[in-house]
Amino acid sequence: MLTIRQNLLETIKGGNPDRFVKQFEFMELIYECPMGSFPGPGETIVNDWGITFTWPEGQVGGFPIHDEEHIVLKDITKWKEQVKIPPIVKDDAAWAPAVEHANKIDRSEKFVTAFVAPGLFEMTHHLMSMENALMAYYEDPDKMHELIEALCERELEYAAEVIKRIKPDCLFHHDDWGGQKSTFISPEMFEEFYLPYYKKIYKFYKDNGVEVAVHHSDSYAASFVPFMIEMGVDIWQGVMTTNNTPELVKKYGGQMSFMGDIDSGVVDFPGWNREIIDREVERACKNNGKLYFIPCLTQGGDYGSFPGVYEETSKSIDEMSKKMF
Amino acid sequence: MSKIQEIQEMVSKGKTKVVAGLVQEALDEGKQPKEILDAMIESMGVVGDKFSAGEIFVPEMLIAAKAMSKGVDVLKPLLAGDSSVSLGTCVIGTVAGDLHDIGKNLVSMMLESSGFTIVDLGVDVPADKFVEAAKENNAVLAACSGLLTTTMPALKQTSLALKDAGFKVMVGGAPVTPEYAAECKADGYAPDAGGAVTKAKELVKA
Repeated sequence: MLTIRQNLLETIKGGNPDRFVKQFEFMELIYECPMGSFPGPGETIVNDWGITFTWPEGQVGGFPIHDEEHIVLKDITKWKEQVKIPPIVKDDAAWAPAVEHANKIDRSEKFVTAFVAPGLFEMTHHLMSMENALMAYYEDPDKMHELIEALCERELEYAAEVIKRIKPDCLFHHDDWGGQKSTFISPEMFEEFYLPYYKKIYKFYKDNGVEVAVHHSDSYAASFVPFMIEMGVDIWQGVMTTNNTPELVKKYGGQMSFMGDIDSGVVDFPGWNREIIDREVERACKNNGKLYFIPCLTQGGDYGSFPGVYEETSKSIDEMSKKMF
Repeated sequence: MSKIQEIQEMVSKGKTKVVAGLVQEALDEGKQPKEILDAMIESMGVVGDKFSAGEIFVPEMLIAAKAMSKGVDVLKPLLAGDSSVSLGTCVIGTVAGDLHDIGKNLVSMMLESSGFTIVDLGVDVPADKFVEAAKENNAVLAACSGLLTTTMPALKQTSLALKDAGFKVMVGGAPVTPEYAAECKADGYAPDAGGAVTKAKELVKA
C-alpha cells in the first residue's frame, strides 16, 4: 500500500495510485504560523491591516465590513497613505508552535503545508470593498497595479519567513476568484492584473522546497485554468461542479489536477445526511476517474461547516476506493 | 453619431468621466431630460443582457452603472417632481444573518439604472425591518437576497412576511432556485442582476 504522500504523487503525476486521495489527507496544515488574525464564530475583530471582520453566530464564515466607517482604502489614488502594510512577524517565540508542529510530521507520509490566506485578489476587496475594487481596475489601473504589486511583495516576504521556519513541501494558497457561475473579472483582466504576481509567488515557493502548490478557489474558474497552469499550480482545490470538472480533468490532466467536485453547499448544510454525501461522492468519483482528480468538499479547509460532514465524506470516499480500485 | 447615441455608447463602455459632460451637451442642444434618461436606461439594459449572457463581467457592469449615475446626477434637478420617470420604489436588502452584499449591490445598481428608486436596507436585515421599510416607502417591490444555505430559512421568512403585508417580492442569491422561490411564495426570481431587471419590470407592470 502506498503512503498517503506517494498516493497523492501517483494521482497527480498520472501514475498508479492504489486508492482515491481522501480530501486533505496529504496536507498537514500548519495553522499555527503567525499569518494574521481572523474571527471565530460570533466574534468581530480588527485585523493587522485595520480591516474589520465579523462572523455572525450560527453562520458559516466571517466577512469584512465595508460601510463608510469601516472601509480601509477609500481612495485608490491614496493607497500609499491609507493602507498601512503590517510587518511580517519574525520573532522566534511567535513561530515556535508552528515549528514544533512541522517538526513532528513524518514527511514520508504527509506534506508539511503552509497555509496562505487571503490571496491578492481577496486582499484588494477586503481593503476597498468589492465594488470599489472592481471599478478601480478601470478607473485607476496604474494604482491598482501598484497596490497589487505591494501586496505581492508582502506575500513574498511572508513566504521567505514561512519557508525558513517550517520548510514546507506543500503550499495551500487561498484566493477566491469567482462566484459559482462565473469569475468576478474577465480572463483578460486576470492576466493583466494577477498572473504576473502569482507567477512570482508560486515560483518563489517552488524554488524553495515546495513540491506541490495547491490553489483554493471554491468557484467557477475554468477559464482561468491555463493561467493556473502557467503560474505553477499543481492542484486546484475547490473546483465546483459548475466548472464541468470531468471535462477539465480530461483536457488538462497531466498539467494540473482538480480537487473538489463535491459542492459544499449541496452536502454541508444543517439537514445533511449520508445518503446525499454518498450520492455526490459516487458521482464525482465515477465521472472524474482515478487520475488527476481528488474527491473533496469544495470548502477551503480540512473541515466542514456542520459537524460530521467532512468525516462522513471521507468515509464515503474510502468506500468508493474499495469499489473502484 | 447623434449625441444620444454617443451617451449610450459611453455609458455602456463605462466612461465615468465623460458621460456627465455629454448629458449636459445634449441638454444644451435641446434634448429633453426624459429622452436622455430613457436612452441611458436602454443602454444599461443592453449591459445587463451582456452580463447575463456571460459576455461581460462584474467590473464592466459596475463601471457602466457608475457612468450612468454621473449622467443621472446632471438630470436629477430637471427631473425632480416628474413621477413618470420612476418605476416606483424598490426596497432591497440581504436577509437576517447574512452579510453578503455583492450580489445585492449589483442588483440594486441595475434596478436603479433601469428606473427604480432604490431604498437599500443593507445586510443582515430582519424580516420586520423589510416590512416596515416597504410600508414607509410605499414600495412597489421588495428584493431580498440570501447567499448562504443557512440563511435560506430567513429568506423564506422575510418573503412570506412581505407577502402577508401585501408587497410584491423578488428573491435571489446563489443557493436560490426557482423552486425555492416558489416555496418562499415570491413573485419573482432571477439568476443574475441582468435578469433581475427584466423580472422586476415585469412585476411592477403586471
